[in-house]
Amino acid sequence: MVGLPGQGMHLRLDALSALFLIILLPQTIAAALSGMRGSLTFWVFVAGMVVALLGADAFTLIFGFELMSAASWLLVLRGDAKPASLYAGIAVFSAACLIPALFLPAGALAFMLILLGTGAKAGLAPLHSWLPRAHPAPPAGVSALMSGGMIKVALYVLIRYGFIVLGAKAAPWWGMVLIVAGAASVLIGSLRAMLETELKTLLACSTVEHAGLIAVGLGVALRAKAMGDPALAALGLQAALLCVVAHALFKPLLFIGAGEVKHATGTSGLNWLGGLLRGMPRLSGLMLLGAVGMAALPLGPGFAPEFLLLHAVIAAAATGGILAHLAFTALLAVLGVSAALALGAAVRLVGIGFLGRPRTLQAAAAEDARPGPLAGMALLAGLCVPVALWPGLVLWGMNPVIRLLVPGASPAPLAYAPLILVLLGGLVALAAGFVLHRFGVRGTREVPAWMGGFGRPPAWLPFGDPMTQPSASGFAAPVARAIGAGLLAPGGMDPGQAWVLAPLQRLYLRIVRLAERIRRATIRERLAFVFMGLVLALLVLGLGEGG
Amino acid sequence: MLGFFLALLATLLHAALTFAAAPFLMGVVTTFRARILGRRGPPFLQSYRHLYRLLRKTTLVPETATPLFGIWPVVCLLALGVAALLVPGFCTGMLTAPAGDFITLIGLLGLARAALVLAGLETGFGFGGAGAQREMLFGVFAEAALLVVLLSFVLLAHSATVNGISVAFSTGQIGISVSLGFALAALLAVALTETGRIPADNPSGHLELAMVHEAMILEYSGRYLLMFDYAAMLRLLVWMNLIGAVFLPFGMARADDLLTWPLGLALWLAKLALMAVCLAVFEISSAKMRVFRVPEFLGVAMLLGMLASVFLFVAARIGG
Repeated sequence: MVGLPGQGMHLRLDALSALFLIILLPQTIAAALSGMRGSLTFWVFVAGMVVALLGADAFTLIFGFELMSAASWLLVLRGDAKPASLYAGIAVFSAACLIPALFLPAGALAFMLILLGTGAKAGLAPLHSWLPRAHPAPPAGVSALMSGGMIKVALYVLIRYGFIVLGAKAAPWWGMVLIVAGAASVLIGSLRAMLETELKTLLACSTVEHAGLIAVGLGVALRAKAMGDPALAALGLQAALLCVVAHALFKPLLFIGAGEVKHATGTSGLNWLGGLLRGMPRLSGLMLLGAVGMAALPLGPGFAPEFLLLHAVIAAAATGGILAHLAFTALLAVLGVSAALALGAAVRLVGIGFLGRPRTLQAAAAEDARPGPLAGMALLAGLCVPVALWPGLVLWGMNPVIRLLVPGASPAPLAYAPLILVLLGGLVALAAGFVLHRFGVRGTREVPAWMGGFGRPPAWLPFGDPMTQPSASGFAAPVARAIGAGLLAPGGMDPGQAWVLAPLQRLYLRIVRLAERIRRATIRERLAFVFMGLVLALLVLGLGEGG
Repeated sequence: MLGFFLALLATLLHAALTFAAAPFLMGVVTTFRARILGRRGPPFLQSYRHLYRLLRKTTLVPETATPLFGIWPVVCLLALGVAALLVPGFCTGMLTAPAGDFITLIGLLGLARAALVLAGLETGFGFGGAGAQREMLFGVFAEAALLVVLLSFVLLAHSATVNGISVAFSTGQIGISVSLGFALAALLAVALTETGRIPADNPSGHLELAMVHEAMILEYSGRYLLMFDYAAMLRLLVWMNLIGAVFLPFGMARADDLLTWPLGLALWLAKLALMAVCLAVFEISSAKMRVFRVPEFLGVAMLLGMLASVFLFVAARIGG
């Protein structure tokens, strides 16, 4: 068998792995339906994730994890060669952090290395800027699985080591580090999702945000567990795990939909779309549902995790010292800004891409998505409904996981009751419907749009002049001016790109130049090197003997 | 059993009064404002006439609109209608109280805002987009400020539902604190922005360049416009109820005690009238801001909200 000599591979299924395997299943089916069925690399990718989730020893875990990385690299490479090398670099960095960490004695160093390794893979700040470039590159089904599944596998490793393997040694500041990384990802991810105009890049930025939200929940839980507060730890975990479940449903849905939009119109730039709802009604309906989840609106799948997370942060603000209080107050402001930005990003996706008038002929002539991807999206959307309307039931199903991670925790029931909201909304709708039906004039009449008083467009512009319509970049311009200028690097660049990756790249170039210089050295310089080295060695030896 | 019955009755009474009084409140504010400016102003019941007129008009749908054109007003109205049922008015302890979590309320307001913005983008005309992008910008800061203010409420009241906060503030030994002052200022700034009043937006303005709320619904007519207009009225009442329940909770009735109802009802009307007058006076005494000043205005609100909770922490450390 494969595995370490004399030990072999060990697989084990516990509640935590089971949860992550369950969330992997629907998105794998959907991705396979969206056209990845015949690709061997895709199935190797899936197998790698499954092995990583099932691995009971460090070797098996790393084997699955790296299999997943390698296969996804091949899939990214097939889509676009440019981000693939960046992706490979990040994967190697992640492996270089993870492999030593798994064999280190339990302690802060091991946790930090694991956080770096998994954080780089999950897109946590500051190592997130590769994600919006690499995730959109492969075909939509793979993008879906990378955002919905691979990120989660990395977070699974983080949970497994942070809470179980290293759990006994955990210190409150580990949680704080996780919270800070998560908050930065949430803010940058949501801001960039609001500003990006390419559909899949926008979705990838939103994935960074959701990875950050999960990390904040995990951080609150880790800190509370280390401080001996199982109730708060359970609340934080509930938020994080519910977010994992919800995000694993609506994000693959959106990615597959984005792929179908590209297939139908030949572009996924929001500035070239518009009015897709007419030509692609079924796809648009499903995308609308996914966008409701992404925006964390009430009655959508994304609201219950956000609700729990905000409550966890508010509860956490009452613990710890004055600095922790201040940090949590600021965190709440960050989460508020990000929630509104995520709402803006989702509204922009729907409003610019699917509503309004077509901006190009391709968008006007788009036909509805192919049946395979539609079926996959419908499956994910169907699973979104119970998560949206019965989040309490999903949380109840998660209780074993929470008890495994925080022994002695008794998770509290959810205070958010979507069904009551539905009931109240139904009553209001009944009353409003009665008034409108009884007293109102019925029916509608179709007329040319008023358009602020401008007349009908000429006959050669059946949908009016596209330039008079608000564009995706125009819609984001006020936010870019008011917030983007302060938070992003000059030129609207991602701070992670400008201040982490770019300096690394410059360092790399410098080292390459140095190596080149050494390679080109003349024979005299080489002899001088050797001689100097000899003298230095003798000097050191002599000093050592003398002392 | 009796308690449940009374709570049900109180909830129904609250619903009836809220939905019936929302246009009246808007009319009162408009008329007060006109009177203070020295004009006669429309009669108090003008809002009802306006709504009835819209009810009797044909609903026009632009050719370039998608099939979802009629969905957004419904979503906006339902979200605000549910919010109006969750926020206590004249009494605490309604049947809807447990569901009235502050964060749910923020979510519902966000849902209404999303529907409004999508309505603005629906037809694909310039003004709608301009209004939509401004509304989105304001929402970013408003939501953050609301969450930070909520933190200080929860720390003081140990409850996250509006009902619980209201009960704690009316009975507990909270007293007047600096924190609550800051929180009130922050909440008022958010309320003014969210309800589209001066200084963020001008409800009576029809100058296209400066419009926010009106710009998004320019293409709507008939019963769709009725829903949007009524939703705007509901939004004003929801915010006034919210501020009243949190900052002026004295004299609020208890749903299970019938004898407290008359005083609670009278005080509720008095508080609404007081807030309407304050709003009218504030509106005539300040000017509308440039669009990019509003984020600064709300940023100050956010900082005040943060200061409120920081003061609470510091006080807790000194006191404890």
